[in-house]
Amino acid sequence: MMALPFVIVFAGLAFAWYGRRGWALGSGLAAIAVTLMLFRLHATDSLALSF
Amino acid sequence: MIDAATSRLLNALALIAISAILAAAFYTQIVARELPCPLCILQRAGFVAVGLGLALNLLTGPRPGHYGLMILAALAGGAVSLRQVALHIVPGSGVYGDPVLGLHLYSWAALIFAAIILGAAAMLFFERQFEPASPPHVRGTLIIAALAFFALMVLGNAASTLLECGTGLCPDNPVAYEWLPG
Repeated sequence: MMALPFVIVFAGLAFAWYGRRGWALGSGLAAIAVTLMLFRLHATDSLALSF
Repeated sequence: MIDAATSRLLNALALIAISAILAAAFYTQIVARELPCPLCILQRAGFVAVGLGLALNLLTGPRPGHYGLMILAALAGGAVSLRQVALHIVPGSGVYGDPVLGLHLYSWAALIFAAIILGAAAMLFFERQFEPASPPHVRGTLIIAALAFFALMVLGNAASTLLECGTGLCPDNPVAYEWLPG
């Protein structure tokens, strides 16, 4: 699951190589969305910011 | 000012720089034996998404949308790195990994993501690079080398992350590769 953003970006790179610009851009946006979703799943500890 | 050819050169150099950052992260992982934490992996994901925007500029010509993708990716990666900085900012709250040139990797990542946002936004002002009369994009040696280096780093990160975390989420403080014996 954590490898998903890299797999999606690699697919986007392949789309870009073959000139499928829209698909490549969509892959980039999907990779960002997945990264943010995984960030949400991992950022579970509350921050202790009292100095 | 910056025309399409200059833009391609700058994008190729930036893609090599992004790939070098990912290679340096691999160095700490493999040689210094520091397994990347989940937030570290997500910062790498931010860098590869930035790299895809650069690669799009190289392969299909510079477009404002490609810089937009880079800015969004840097914002996402920057949010992750700032979260990790905040986790360790209070004295006595511990650190993750060894510092490099006085800063931890997540602090460097936050600075680099900020620089990417500024750089991509600045590039949007040079509109001559977007003119349709620009010569067709040529895949020269530097561009092919930059793309190959980047593709290797993306595949390497996919493989490394699968080995470390398997198909699920990563533990907060990983100590061993899930898919490697011993």
